[in-house]
Amino acid sequence: MNNLNLGRHISGQFNEDLERMLNLVMHMGGLVEKQLNDSLTAVVDVNQELARDVLANDAQINSLEMSIDDECTRIIAKRQPAAGDLRLIMAIVKTIADLERIGDEAQKIAKVALEDFSSQQKDLLLNLDNLGRRVLEFLQLTLDAFTRMDVETAIKIHSTDGKIDREYEALMRQLMTYMMEDPRSIPQIMSVIWSARALERIGDRCQNICEYIIYFVKGKVVRHTRSEDMQNL
Amino acid sequence: MISVTPNALSDSPNKIDLSNMKPEQIALDIKGLNLHYGNKQALQDITMSIPKGQVTAFIGPSGCGKSTLLRCINRMNDLVDICKITGEINLHGENIYGRHVDVAALRRKVGMVFQRPNPFPKSIYENVVYGVRIAGENNRRNLDDIVEKSLKSAALWNEVKDRLHESALGLSGGQQQRLVIARAIAIEPEVLLLDEPTSALDPISTLTIEELINDLKKQFTVVIVTHNMQQAARVSDQTAFMYMGDLIEYSDTNTLFTTPVKKKTEDYITGRYG
Repeated sequence: MNNLNLGRHISGQFNEDLERMLNLVMHMGGLVEKQLNDSLTAVVDVNQELARDVLANDAQINSLEMSIDDECTRIIAKRQPAAGDLRLIMAIVKTIADLERIGDEAQKIAKVALEDFSSQQKDLLLNLDNLGRRVLEFLQLTLDAFTRMDVETAIKIHSTDGKIDREYEALMRQLMTYMMEDPRSIPQIMSVIWSARALERIGDRCQNICEYIIYFVKGKVVRHTRSEDMQNL
Repeated sequence: MISVTPNALSDSPNKIDLSNMKPEQIALDIKGLNLHYGNKQALQDITMSIPKGQVTAFIGPSGCGKSTLLRCINRMNDLVDICKITGEINLHGENIYGRHVDVAALRRKVGMVFQRPNPFPKSIYENVVYGVRIAGENNRRNLDDIVEKSLKSAALWNEVKDRLHESALGLSGGQQQRLVIARAIAIEPEVLLLDEPTSALDPISTLTIEELINDLKKQFTVVIVTHNMQQAARVSDQTAFMYMGDLIEYSDTNTLFTTPVKKKTEDYITGRYG
């Protein structure tokens, strides 16, 4: 269901401003998704060149965040938005902050691909793949829901974050077992742990974005609300 | 330890639950009010309670009935021949449209300020004491006190205290409007009606009047009609949105401007009207 209702303002220029801003957010979301995908591929394939690309491309995401932020400030100053328009601007300002941080997490993951792993230890990195692919899918669904401001999907995604948390905990236990079995591998395993942590955080940030979608559509603040309680919105 | 509830910052400290007000909190209780100009119905079954000591704003497009409703509160519509009103407006439990109501006395309790400042062609001093003199007060010392108190309440005293006996017509538009407010509050009404009080003023004078409205609510119940939605958002505690004679939505201002319930309200305040 699409809840975006940008048009119909008496001011056509306001419609255009909002549309341009949303397009920028979607472009930023696409870049962040690509960064996460590339960082996971770089880690699993040990592709250092791709990892360096991820590190370099983060600047583009940062600059997009600043541009959209500026645009939102300008719209607030000039248009003094109210009701749905105001909630949309607030949702965008918060979403781009989370997207920017997801970009930073992708960068952290990519840095692991640049570390020296012995061929034996490289198998450790494969452990990240499952969790990584699930988080990537989570991000894609979130961005899709944001594009359509689809509140039903946002609630559904929000409630599945628990799966990511459980997978993260299982991976942690597995990595701790490795550390106990072979203490010499602890430095490398720590890197894997930081990456897993980054992925888990990306899941949390996707959950935040779902909360902003709900805020925009329903006008209700659902932060710190249990997923079970959201079904009654 | 500081305890902060989730809405501690957004809720005004004197927020009132409009659907569940105690009788002593209500200044004006409007019940089933209908108004016809000839065959045209300008207000349709308006029912709302306006809380005491707060600012209530009426917003809506031109012709929606907001000024008509405001004028009903001190029976200004009585002056229109073809106007027919049914329903009740209760001020302290007494219907102002009751048979034995003295309209002049009612208007002393419910003062009004209009869009364009309308000082009398008299001195500043005489403008302020005009209503008080009519009410029978002629003691010079008392009148002096009333002038000082009213002009201070209207945030005009410091600007005019040295020229009280000069013509009011020499004041700027913003000063004239504050003088008119001083004249309205000199007779100590209970309710102050403001009909687009800043639409003829520059932005700085507008801000001064808005600041004044915020101070006035400590003493009076203020009802304001404004075309400027941002002004309604800034100065009022409650906002009523009207459309084609109907009261569409009436809620606390914070809610109405962030999460309105009715689509018509949302469309109007986001500029999608028309």
